[in-house]
Amino acid sequence: MEPAEVEFLAEKELVTIVPNFSLDRIHLIGGDLGPFNPGLPVEVPVWLAINLKQRQKCRLIPPDWMDVEKLEEVRDQERKEDTFTPMPSPYYMELTKLLLNYASDNIPKADEIRTLVKDTWDTRIAKLRLSADSFVRQQEAHAKLDNLTLMEINTTGTFLTQALDHMYRLRANLQPGESAQSQDF
Amino acid sequence: SFTQGSKLEIPLWLAKGLHDSKRKIISVEPPKIYKEAWRTVFSADANVVDLHKMGPYYYGFGSQLLNFDNPENPEIAQTTFINRFRRIMDSSQNAYNEDTSALVARLDELERALFQAGQKGLNDFQCWEKGQASQITASSLVQNYGKRKFTDMDG
Repeated sequence: MEPAEVEFLAEKELVTIVPNFSLDRIHLIGGDLGPFNPGLPVEVPVWLAINLKQRQKCRLIPPDWMDVEKLEEVRDQERKEDTFTPMPSPYYMELTKLLLNYASDNIPKADEIRTLVKDTWDTRIAKLRLSADSFVRQQEAHAKLDNLTLMEINTTGTFLTQALDHMYRLRANLQPGESAQSQDF
Repeated sequence: SFTQGSKLEIPLWLAKGLHDSKRKIISVEPPKIYKEAWRTVFSADANVVDLHKMGPYYYGFGSQLLNFDNPENPEIAQTTFINRFRRIMDSSQNAYNEDTSALVARLDELERALFQAGQKGLNDFQCWEKGQASQITASSLVQNYGKRKFTDMDG
């Protein structure tokens, strides 16, 4: 997958906005949205929130987890544990990027948040590589990694599957009965 | 023409065709790098070996050699790969917007392809993070056509 595709999926997540316009409930194929009343918070998917924000029709309310203290806890937890901690959102990376790019004026301490999320991401990716290395070294057949997000899997996935394919072929070469076909003449 | 017992260099495909465990027309001697002597080098530090110089298709060629019933250590390719894996992974996923020629110099072709995969994952992510994933850019093919301005064209 492309990161843009992962982001596309992330944009279905709900976020709270405060609109400055009125609109009756709208019926979309994916579900109903609204009604929208000025000053009243309402939950909408991120794709719509970003669009409305760009058109200056709303302000965004950051999700609960997008807060310096909470993210510091998450980052510290991640650094402490060998396994992956559950993330406050399966799309934490994408949502952070989107909301901070388009609505940083609605998010207090935006720069700190960006740094904290990036630090957490870096720690997790480093853990992923450590896991991959020990997986290859011990020639495991099966691994289970909980609490990884799609973006993390997507960034290292191609490399890892190719490496494992190669390992498999090398291992298969060692099995007896792999003799080449030869013609009698 | 050649006589029995003489030593020749022939391409792998020919050796494969001539090889037959039953009739033993030829016996194959693998290139130096696949032999016991090199094993000490590999086990000391597999990352140091220049697999590109020793024959750029180390793993592929090595796999083919296993067809010839040679009693050399068959696991060396696997062990080598396992030892080199970490460095390939780390360098391919950390080197962003840099000249990577030094990093890939000692990798064989298969490892280089793997390196490319790692780079692509990294580059795609970085590009997305900077917000460039949604920018429209001219295709690199078009840019290479050697721009000619409309006013410069003949006729």
